Amino acid sequence: MHPVLEVRNLEKAFGGVPVLRDVSLSVHAGEVVALAGENGAGKSTVMKIVTGQVQRDAGEVLVNGESVPHIDTQVARALGVAIVPQELAPYPDLTVYENLFVGREMHTRFGFLDRRGMLNQARQMLDVFEVDIDPSTLMNRLSVSVTQLVEIAKATTWGAKAILLDEPSSAIPDREVDRLYAVVRKLRAQGVAMIYTTHRLAEIQQLADRVVVLRDGRLVMDEALAQAPEHAIVRAMIGRDLDSLFPDKVEPRHEIGLTVRDLQVERGGPTVSLEVRRGEILGLGGLVGAGRTEIAEGIFGIRESHAGDILVGDNPVRRNSPSAAIRAGVALVPEDRKGAGLVLLQSVLDNTSLPHISEFSTLGWIHGRERRAAVKQASESVSLRSRGMDQIVGTLSGGNQQKVVIARWLTEEANVLLLDEPTRGVDVGARGEIYAIIHNLAATGLAVLLISSDMQELIGLSNRVMVVRDSAVVGELSTEDLQHEDVQERIFRFASGLEQNDADGTAA
Amino acid sequence: MAPQHETRTTDAPDPEKHQERKLSYPTETPSVEGVPAPEDSKGWNRERVINLLIRNAMVIVLLIVMVFFALRNDRFLSVANARTILIAAAPFALVALGQTIVILTGGIDLSVGSVIAVSAMSGAWMAVNYPDMVWLGIIVAILVGTFVGLINGLVISRLNVAPFVATLGTLTAASGFAYVIGGGAPINGLPESFGTIANTRVLGLQLPVFFMIAGFVILGIVMRYTAWGLRVYSVGGNRTAAEVAGVNAKNMLTSVYVLSGMLAGISGIVLASRVISGPPNLGKGYELFAIAAVVIGGASLMGGRGTVWGTLVGLLLIQTLNNGLDILVVPAYWQAVISGVLIVAAVAVDMWASRRSSS
Repeated sequence: MHPVLEVRNLEKAFGGVPVLRDVSLSVHAGEVVALAGENGAGKSTVMKIVTGQVQRDAGEVLVNGESVPHIDTQVARALGVAIVPQELAPYPDLTVYENLFVGREMHTRFGFLDRRGMLNQARQMLDVFEVDIDPSTLMNRLSVSVTQLVEIAKATTWGAKAILLDEPSSAIPDREVDRLYAVVRKLRAQGVAMIYTTHRLAEIQQLADRVVVLRDGRLVMDEALAQAPEHAIVRAMIGRDLDSLFPDKVEPRHEIGLTVRDLQVERGGPTVSLEVRRGEILGLGGLVGAGRTEIAEGIFGIRESHAGDILVGDNPVRRNSPSAAIRAGVALVPEDRKGAGLVLLQSVLDNTSLPHISEFSTLGWIHGRERRAAVKQASESVSLRSRGMDQIVGTLSGGNQQKVVIARWLTEEANVLLLDEPTRGVDVGARGEIYAIIHNLAATGLAVLLISSDMQELIGLSNRVMVVRDSAVVGELSTEDLQHEDVQERIFRFASGLEQNDADGTAA
Repeated sequence: MAPQHETRTTDAPDPEKHQERKLSYPTETPSVEGVPAPEDSKGWNRERVINLLIRNAMVIVLLIVMVFFALRNDRFLSVANARTILIAAAPFALVALGQTIVILTGGIDLSVGSVIAVSAMSGAWMAVNYPDMVWLGIIVAILVGTFVGLINGLVISRLNVAPFVATLGTLTAASGFAYVIGGGAPINGLPESFGTIANTRVLGLQLPVFFMIAGFVILGIVMRYTAWGLRVYSVGGNRTAAEVAGVNAKNMLTSVYVLSGMLAGISGIVLASRVISGPPNLGKGYELFAIAAVVIGGASLMGGRGTVWGTLVGLLLIQTLNNGLDILVVPAYWQAVISGVLIVAAVAVDMWASRRSSS
């Protein structure tokens, strides 16, 4: 039997830079292929070519064994190839059933919309998925994960025989992924062919029948799941063993760099206390949505907190004032780099100098030379690669953008560095560099708070890890604990509420 | 706590910005790491020239328009006519400047036309009642404009009312006040000295032309060389990121509308001085004219992109066009039609050019 979807010898380059080199893969009816690889490996490009959003340079795409010479989005749809994109684009102010039927509306005899008919059919469609949604709800009332299920439902009702799911679990909380998995399995049972991109190894184990790994645009692995142990997948993805990315840990100093006492971010909610020594990297582990970002934002003052004390060194810092925090040398590298970290339209120079702009100006007048010198030094300290300071930040690669976000805190002396998912969206090469930067900054005496959902990163970089659940610290792992083999499991047990200990570290 | 959304400080994603981000994706992917281009390659290769031309597309359009008129009528290229164009542009210059700064933050100020009226009327009223103290009228007019701007700024930054709506409100209310001050009629009988502000000539040019030049020079410098200028661009380019960098976005927004109101107040007093009276419909429609000049100048209504220099070009383009069509004796109604078409065409050219230069 022919595969439902197959690509052969796919080639694609953007602006002369190859992103796909001789990639061939296929997916059969009732099969789930996990397409793994780091950011920039070419996963999205494969998906976009197959769904006609991007045209291939060379190679062949076959649907049900027949070669399709030209694919645009219309053709893909007609052939039954559908994509559920990573960033969903529903119509938020229309109802669920309207969303499902936009573009193929049902009509009454008189040419009016057959709302009753659509409503009924929508209900049946959603029932198949065992999702309890009223089709007349407004789309914007739904959580991201339910929205995603509606988008998947939409794809199937278009008669899709092959569905491409682009990082479907990246946007939804862990406790809701089970529902997604259930739907994927249901579709597989119905004979739908699926390609599923993900970073998460656990997910591959749970769902996939076969694993395909891309690295730097090349296919480096195509194996049945049983033949692909976890470490082999990881090595295929990053091209070497993960441990080699992490620098040796340094011994923290004695002085305390950051003290947080009874910080209450949510009114009436739990409070958080922690201390980070200078030169120490304190990891904050936990599930997505556990409240770690809120803690960092609360310390920085960009999110309102209601009680508590924050000290940098021995000096108290006014709460709820980012500018006070910045003056005290607190730096925040936010999780959402493009949304909250950078002004993409502006130059490296402007972005890097913004936080401490008053330091290189008198009465608001910017000293150009001083500013350029400071920015130059800061960019060199993170080994930024750009076409000079006047390059627009939006045209830098993800890794270099992240370096700018870090560099802009280094134009003046920084004392505390709050990192929220510092390597999200950063490709693996640059990832190692960012680890080195973080490590070096800690070595110069900064107190570093590191939030990461990447377990390896958390363990590989941190001197100590605190685990957060429901906005409270529920467990702590010392340097020695982090060297234990069971460390991942322990963090997970704390994070998911299977285990708890109190602040002094004794298990309860 | 609602754990189902990954918490971040951003509000609901702005669909427009979103798209921009997506568009930028292909250019981002292939950026070759590890190949630092030479810091600055001097020398005039073809690509550099083309890029320079594209970046100044609107200047070229302006030159083409000028050449066209010059070829059609030799009266066009004369010192006297250049002076006419400058004098015609001057009254709009200050409000267009204020509008530029507001638009850079992603906002809009629709109220400036009415602010001109209400500040002119208050200035005129003061001048009639205190004829010996013309300066008092001037100060009052500027204060009134500033005050309306402050209201705009506070409503927008503290009450989170959309700038379009907030300034639409003050547009209507301030216009009402302008009529209230004059009891529904123009204020006449102003002292002659009131006219000195606008009608004094230096080097054959009326003072407002110098106000225009001063305004562009000062704000041009402020936007480029001061922390405030940088912060305006940051708040407009990405408000959340600016806040994370310690910028007080609310105060920035307020200051921008205050500035726009103040400049409209100055325009009001200058315009009233020119006619030595206080007509309550003074400045009507100036807001749209100002917005047109800013947009032709290459500013993005989404904020974060645009320059004071661009607005000057936009302003001169519109005025040159009107002037040239006058000289060619094109009927006024047709002039309006042509202007309208050209505004859209100019912006379309600019969009095309900026796409070219970024790809």
